[in-house]
Amino acid sequence: MSAHRGYPLRQILVVLVVLPALYLNFNIYQTGNVWIALAILIVIGLGAFVYLSDAGYTYRYLFPGFLGFGLFVIFPIVYMVFLSFTKYSSQNLLSFDRSLAMLEQESFSLGNESYKYKLYAQEDGRYILYLESDTHSEKRFVSAPFELTPGEQPQGTQEAQKLSPLPPGQEVPGKPLEFTQVTRQKLFIPMRGRQFALPDDTLVAMEGLQKFASRERLWTLNADGSLTNRQDGKVLRPDFRLGFFVTDKGEKVGAGFRTYTGFDNYVRIVTDPRIQGPFFKIFLWTIAFSGMSVVLTFGVGMLLAVILEWKELGFRRGYRTLLILPYAVPAVLSILIFKGLFNQEFGAVNEFLRGTLGFAPEWETNPWGARAMILLVNVWLGYPYMMLVCTGMLQSIPSGIYEASAIDGSGAVVDFFRLTLPLVLPPLMPILISSFAFNFNNFNLIYLLTGGGPKMVGGGIAGETDLLVNYTFNIAFRDSGTNFGLASAIATLLFFIVGVLAWINLKLSGRNVKI
Amino acid sequence: MTATQKTNLRKAAAHGFVIFFLVLILVPFAMVISASFRQGNFAPSRLLPDKVSLDHWKFVLGIPYQEIVNPATGQTRIVKAETPPLRWFWNSIKISFLSSAGIIFLSGTSAYAFARLRFTFRSPTLSALLILQMFPMVLSLVAFYVILDFTGQYVKWLGLNTQTGLIMIYLGGISNYIWMIKGYFETIPPTMEESARIDGASQFQTFVRILLPISLPIFAVVFILSFISYMSEYPVASVVLQSGENWTLAVGANSFLYEQEKLWGRFAALAVLSGLPITVIFLLCQKFVIGGLTSGGIKE
Repeated sequence: MSAHRGYPLRQILVVLVVLPALYLNFNIYQTGNVWIALAILIVIGLGAFVYLSDAGYTYRYLFPGFLGFGLFVIFPIVYMVFLSFTKYSSQNLLSFDRSLAMLEQESFSLGNESYKYKLYAQEDGRYILYLESDTHSEKRFVSAPFELTPGEQPQGTQEAQKLSPLPPGQEVPGKPLEFTQVTRQKLFIPMRGRQFALPDDTLVAMEGLQKFASRERLWTLNADGSLTNRQDGKVLRPDFRLGFFVTDKGEKVGAGFRTYTGFDNYVRIVTDPRIQGPFFKIFLWTIAFSGMSVVLTFGVGMLLAVILEWKELGFRRGYRTLLILPYAVPAVLSILIFKGLFNQEFGAVNEFLRGTLGFAPEWETNPWGARAMILLVNVWLGYPYMMLVCTGMLQSIPSGIYEASAIDGSGAVVDFFRLTLPLVLPPLMPILISSFAFNFNNFNLIYLLTGGGPKMVGGGIAGETDLLVNYTFNIAFRDSGTNFGLASAIATLLFFIVGVLAWINLKLSGRNVKI
Repeated sequence: MTATQKTNLRKAAAHGFVIFFLVLILVPFAMVISASFRQGNFAPSRLLPDKVSLDHWKFVLGIPYQEIVNPATGQTRIVKAETPPLRWFWNSIKISFLSSAGIIFLSGTSAYAFARLRFTFRSPTLSALLILQMFPMVLSLVAFYVILDFTGQYVKWLGLNTQTGLIMIYLGGISNYIWMIKGYFETIPPTMEESARIDGASQFQTFVRILLPISLPIFAVVFILSFISYMSEYPVASVVLQSGENWTLAVGANSFLYEQEKLWGRFAALAVLSGLPITVIFLLCQKFVIGGLTSGGIKE
């Protein structure tokens, strides 16, 4: 391929993009993310190659698109599949190293050495801690400036902050606080949660309000990875199945860590009755919902398309414009509007039904009522698309076939089922299948309309109208457990189901589209 | 009964059915409009408001108004939205517009390669694009969170709670559009481009100067479809955008409907205000969109 001759515009552009990217990547490398930096470096290199070398010409068109697709479609899938083999939840949140480090920070009071302390307020609002040994007044230490939020309760064990020795004669910068200021400004509350480490790595922390005292680390790390309690000799071992440090008696100690658990999450879906029961129920409802949505929207859409194809009917264009309105309004708004209309006590639907028929269905509290409402709303949302597609299909049928049938003397309804439907159904199959797949993952509708409610009895966070994708979302983000591992396993199964559907669809439409 | 009578009867039945159906379809819209003018925050339930008030509209537009706190004492207070809800609409427009423009760029260039250039794994890649895109965005949220959390450490404006970060994530959803545009490119015979090549134009020039101008209609379709889908996107936006002034229309509208207190009136005013222009634009571009829908997926 002949490159553009003249100004080296392309080369200049490549340099203008690559240089900042390299600079950014250097920052990423410097903050310790070596592998990520390496991956980004490879991508930058590939990009530079594609846009500079003639050999990569074709990929100049593909590179930006593939980059976006790779990062935001493929990476999330790979990441999900990876997470599905791990134990990763709010209880097993930290990496193993962080979890271990937290245990190593735990300490108990030794009380054999005590220190006077003073806080020095700095001009930028931060504080410096000053310590002076009670027994050897020449042993003085200062901290780097740190932030303190008055009155904030300490949470968990925090990493110890290093103290450095203060040479004799040198003053601490800032304004020293009186003891009463420390108590009145409630600075002692966050201070009680802090630990500091002397240069020889002895831990010190507040003991009472007036003093600092040396502390001993609670756990010693043994060569085999176990931890021994210095106070009572208890031994802790990491259990990589549980994702916790456990004692010999099996008690969990400290914060859990993320761990690789193989197929545990998948096994749990099939065997754990708390998951398995709701899972299959929700699976069935998801299939029923998607199937019925397709059939109903197709039915209504086709009926309207057939009526509007009747050439002698007046005002057809006006009708069609009005009929596609539900498709034109942003779906989020429509769904929320229906949430109001179907409000069980005050909504329009029930006010109308109460007034005319004298009964008010329980759209919110009865599972069947909620399901019926969801289908009604989904038909409302989905029929215009089907109508448009069917109209296109009907217009492509040559009118000759009807003339032959008219001679036969058969009626319009018979004609439709005998001639039209068999003709239009096969080419519509791909659209029907993608509509099925779309509804299979119709998160918005359920999330905004019912929120999955009413709750499934004995189903934990599962709701009677939850689709699998909503259920997964709830497990990952809404459950008190925020169980990412389990959610990822269900998501992987879901992806598999929809992927197979998409593949079948591709094979079916392969007849119509040449790739 | 003569044949004409029979036809007229049928026509009347058809009109009757369609009109009945239209009433069912349009009543919800009428009720929302009415709810937006009705005093108090009631679920939409009447065609005509009993007590007309402009309070909800003022709220949505960010205009302060007086509200009676205690009817017995006549005590009032001034109410003004912290973030004018109109801003969410503007955010949505901005985000959807920029995302759609990006989508056009990314899918247009990729589609060109698929339609006009030959490379290894071309058709498996096309199939893979379609299948992988079926993975619902909602379930990628954990990964999106991780990505934005990471990028935000180095580039502030690409982190969590930024609109640019959200736009960046939206740019991943290109595969359906690649397919649509590629289908359109393939209906255009390459003869013109070929003769331009013979006259000395570069490949890139034939793409930009010849193919792109003819293909404007399909780009219009892709733009409108992606614009509409991003206007309605809820889950990703709700996780990425945390502070009120960054919210999109979908997140903001849903925020009026808390479990404890559902502010239907305000929601209705926002829905009318923002739904109306989008609906009008859609109807004006109807011809384009319908053409794209019926020709994009399948061809005969």
